[in-house]
Amino acid sequence: MSTPKATDLGGRALDFVMGIVEAPINGFERLMGRKRMPYLFLAPNLILFGIFTFLPIAIAVGYAFTGGTGLFVSERPFVGFDNFRQLLQCEDYFRPGSCRESLFWTAVWNTLWFVGFNVTATLLVALVTALILNRAMAARGFFRAMFFYPVLLSPVVIGLIWKWFLDRNGLLNAFLQMLGVPPEIFLLEVGWSRFFVVVVSVWFHMGFYTLILLAGLQAIPKDLYEAAAIDAASPRRTLLRITLPLLGPNLLVVLILLMIRSVQIFDEAWVLTNGGGPGTANSFIVQYIYQMAFGSDLRLFGLASAASVLMGLVLLALTLIQLRLGRKMES
Amino acid sequence: MGNLKLTSVTKSFGALTVLHDIDLTIDNGKFVVFVGPSGCGKSTLLRIIAGLEDISAGGIEIGGRDVVQLSPAERKIAMVFQSYALYPHMSVRKNLAFGLENLKFKRSEIDTRIAEAARMLAIEPYLERKPRQLSGGQRQRVAIGRAIVRNPDIFLFDEPLSNLDAALRVQTRAEITRLHRQLRTTMIYVTHDQVEAMTMADEIVVLNGGRIEQVGTPLELFDNPRNLFVAGFLGSPRMNMLKGKVTAVGEAAAVIDVGYGVPLKARIDPAAAKVGQAVLVGIRPAHFAIGDSEGLPFVVQYHESLGTETYVYGTLEGRDEQIIVHQAGHFAPERGALLRIMPLPGRVHVFDPDSGLALPRTIEQRSAAHEHA
Repeated sequence: MSTPKATDLGGRALDFVMGIVEAPINGFERLMGRKRMPYLFLAPNLILFGIFTFLPIAIAVGYAFTGGTGLFVSERPFVGFDNFRQLLQCEDYFRPGSCRESLFWTAVWNTLWFVGFNVTATLLVALVTALILNRAMAARGFFRAMFFYPVLLSPVVIGLIWKWFLDRNGLLNAFLQMLGVPPEIFLLEVGWSRFFVVVVSVWFHMGFYTLILLAGLQAIPKDLYEAAAIDAASPRRTLLRITLPLLGPNLLVVLILLMIRSVQIFDEAWVLTNGGGPGTANSFIVQYIYQMAFGSDLRLFGLASAASVLMGLVLLALTLIQLRLGRKMES
Repeated sequence: MGNLKLTSVTKSFGALTVLHDIDLTIDNGKFVVFVGPSGCGKSTLLRIIAGLEDISAGGIEIGGRDVVQLSPAERKIAMVFQSYALYPHMSVRKNLAFGLENLKFKRSEIDTRIAEAARMLAIEPYLERKPRQLSGGQRQRVAIGRAIVRNPDIFLFDEPLSNLDAALRVQTRAEITRLHRQLRTTMIYVTHDQVEAMTMADEIVVLNGGRIEQVGTPLELFDNPRNLFVAGFLGSPRMNMLKGKVTAVGEAAAVIDVGYGVPLKARIDPAAAKVGQAVLVGIRPAHFAIGDSEGLPFVVQYHESLGTETYVYGTLEGRDEQIIVHQAGHFAPERGALLRIMPLPGRVHVFDPDSGLALPRTIEQRSAAHEHA
């Protein structure tokens, strides 16, 4: 192989590796033909993806139509749509108590409310942060890193940090007491606990969305703003008529990702609220699925799978609608 | 009124000064071209006039009004960008309307102005289209249209033709000139293309290294370049330069020896030249006559035939510097052929090689040059 002589260490390492793989790759190429070679390179990833993503999806769909508490397919009787019927049987969907699976419907409504508040709040906070970071300001890199930093943390760590902060004897109450405000047991009060689940989620994820929006803002040509300045556009008009429309595709991406991720809320809220408390105030769909399948030895894999399938279908529908909208926006 | 006055305009980015003490007055209704090589500061100067860049020192007046503290919108200017800078998500109509809407114009007035501009630029069929559905030339017209509807005191053009192909560039050049005749509004046009400068301008401002080298009509600059830079920058192919020495100074002309026993007469001010002084002699390719026996010995290397004219490239016998000679019509000298070339009378430019400045010419010389032109 006639790669140019590498003098640096990385280059020499690359040469070494290339020397080893050259012969087998050439062999494969003779065996498969050049056209089919890309699939060989894709194969490792496809195999992993298949085992850990496609296979579980298929298994879950299959399990959704079976009953019992057995783990293996052979031990699970086919029950048709029973699990779905059980989940959807309801006198009034707006009153979870009237449903056969009241816990599921409580979780559905909790999740919907959470998605509404969380998507709106995260979108606004991320947008405002991106707009500020997009201006020429001192220490921009520092702030960008700071806002992105929580994204790197584990959800469990996030949950624990905030729990410590919001605890009855936590930092926030200590601070409030200093100001003479009576302490509040934030995580045991329905309103406050829901509020802080959203706050924590916004704080956790906003850095990621800020980054996407910032990239979009920086892709808007500078001369459009100069043209707008000459066209006497006020800052407000510039934002509404130039910046936001041109940021549209990025906003749509953020919206799709945010909705999907919000529907999937679980780990940090689970840790923060001690399992969805107070009561079922912060019990969400994924938590319901987890509890049915693995919590307190219920082993209701069929019911859990059916709930997963339903949630998957809703997410799929949401995504398709938004993609359709995105295409319409572009043309 | 669209007259412009710049006084001692200086612009620095940190320690780097890109414009030094620019003084310039532009009369209302003039078509002025800023021309110069890349990085000469011409675009920066235009952006300063537009209000898109601050100045470090100096003053700017538009229509007798100090505009230094005013925003671009308040300066009553309109600008056509090199990239067109059309709003990609708005239709052509909305692109044209945006500025007027911001200024709270009445709907009916906006519609009238758009209709008028669209007719003038023949963009009526595209009014409902988005910019990306238009060709480069059409986008260019929309960009100009967006400037026209504002009815500004001064139009600013920043290299507006550089993204068009050659044929379209010639056509659009003519259209912008026609537009200027029609509107009679002051236009300032930045380009690095000297052909655009020569063909479009009432007045050319030659910039180099952040300084104005010379201001004048195209022919003034062509016939009487103030220094070596202007002489070399305007005119294509560029002016030929020969080293020489002043051998005699008379009342009407000085005699300059460039070798080969062929004295050249240059009509320069006798007060400005000394016998024995080293000079650079500049002669444009078109200002040689090809003779039979008289003249400088010119050895042909190759020639370029453009159909109606021919450029012959070569050197003076025994020297290295390339000399270009223009000849009308078909002309096909053999490679290595020896021609005799003689500068046309009154077409010899003389420069001081140290300062680069042209030696002042006698008055008759100037008028004579104009008659020739």
